[in-house]
Amino acid sequence: MKEQFTPKIVGFLCNWCSYAGADLAGSAKLEILPSLTVIRVMCSSRIDSNLVLTTLLLGADGILIAGCHPGDCHYEKGNYYARRRFALLRKVVETLKIDPERLQLSWVSASEGKRYAEVVNQFTDKIRKLGPNPIQTNPYL
Amino acid sequence: MNTAENELYSPKKGAMISIKNSIRETILRFFKEALEKKTFDAILIPVKVPAGDSYTWILVEDISLLKNAAPIAPIMPVQGANALSSLTRKGKGNLKIAAILRPCEIRAAIELSKLEQVNLETLYLFSFDCPGALPLLDYTKNPPKGEELFESFFNENKWNEEQIKPVCKMCDNFSIPNCDLHFGILGVEKNNLLLIPNSSKGESVLNEMGIAYKNDLSSWKKKVNEIEKEKEKTKKETYHNIQPMVEGLDSLLQTFAKCIGCHNCMTVCPICYCRQCYFDSEVSKFTSDDYLLRAEKRGGLRFPTDIILFQSGRMSHMSLSCVSCGMCEDVCPTSIPVAQIFSYVADKTQKAFEYKPGRNIGEPLPLKEYKEEELQEIKKSLNESVGQE
Repeated sequence: MKEQFTPKIVGFLCNWCSYAGADLAGSAKLEILPSLTVIRVMCSSRIDSNLVLTTLLLGADGILIAGCHPGDCHYEKGNYYARRRFALLRKVVETLKIDPERLQLSWVSASEGKRYAEVVNQFTDKIRKLGPNPIQTNPYL
Repeated sequence: MNTAENELYSPKKGAMISIKNSIRETILRFFKEALEKKTFDAILIPVKVPAGDSYTWILVEDISLLKNAAPIAPIMPVQGANALSSLTRKGKGNLKIAAILRPCEIRAAIELSKLEQVNLETLYLFSFDCPGALPLLDYTKNPPKGEELFESFFNENKWNEEQIKPVCKMCDNFSIPNCDLHFGILGVEKNNLLLIPNSSKGESVLNEMGIAYKNDLSSWKKKVNEIEKEKEKTKKETYHNIQPMVEGLDSLLQTFAKCIGCHNCMTVCPICYCRQCYFDSEVSKFTSDDYLLRAEKRGGLRFPTDIILFQSGRMSHMSLSCVSCGMCEDVCPTSIPVAQIFSYVADKTQKAFEYKPGRNIGEPLPLKEYKEEELQEIKKSLNESVGQE
């Protein structure tokens, strides 16, 4: 049987909500696909477009940015700024048609361990359907 | 989305000034008078360099010292907003300074003032109906020919010439930006100029100098609109041609294959104001083992590396404020149509936030504000099907 492709996804998780949510999912022993490499950041708005573009162009199959739900930001409004930044980045990537589908922004709170597992599993499924990032095999990049 | 806080000033009347000898001399005479009357203490103006093959910005108190001042220079070697930034980025001074700039330079200056790199408080910005600028290289090859050509634009009111920079050809923002005073050239009776106040600051200048502004603007507006329409058409065509050059990784790689990584485009960009750019910093450099690993995975690695990262990173960092001045394209040693590409991308990102750079000083930068309920299309990507606990 052909081995199923396990995508490499980089997840930028906010320290206060999504990272704690991931922790909860782990201690509740929920089943999470082993696709996500987690990078903890202090706030989702800390994610500069360069971080995402670097990750994408170095060959990550998917990038997940997760932060607190709107209105629940530890810094009051960081996630609103993150949403705008993400919208801008998505527009650039869309315009250049370099797989905007590989980028996702999600809200996961500290108590949503189950949601965290679902977000990761669903996103992984989506990336699986897209296949590996073609950038990985391009020597001109 | 971004409703401007303060209403845009809309000019209603202008002052008719008769042209003596040339437009250049008429505008210089106005500034001379204004300086003599102490309406301003100094002026920042483009001046032809002694060798006669380029222009530079000079800040001067006595304009008669400058034989070669040219309020409307044929080329744009240094973006005027950069000159204003050098002058005022550490805060305003005590002197009232007039500056005459192209509309795109003024738009950049307004963006820079939002980024706290220019202080407009004691500055008086003058603009004019801009016929476009000649590409820097074309001009320096034969300056006298360039001068002659540029002069002919004014004699025959040609605002759509082949020889100007490609971004100028498609610039539908070539007239009255958010300035204080504007010299209207188009659609004005022969041998006349319209001096149009475009802010309360501009009005106070005319009042102080005792210049009445009672002339009608309709024929000037009509002509400007006419040319705007033509340029909009060119813009559409240009975007149509640029689109296939940037869509998809393969096209991007082909378009930027010539890029030598000199970062000239970033250096001259008025909006790229950071003292140190991420792409010039050590953070963006890796060890040889890292590069080897990358090469191994991909079957090879191009040097200089990360050309597409640089371009797309810059697009996401500055495109919201891009004024399409064309500086980047002017200095690209490998003639990549950078400015047209950035203009195309900027058009998309700016529309996404309904933002126009340099339109209004009271309009905040899109990344510096937010609304609680917005960007529904992003919400859709949030896996709404995932239930909440």
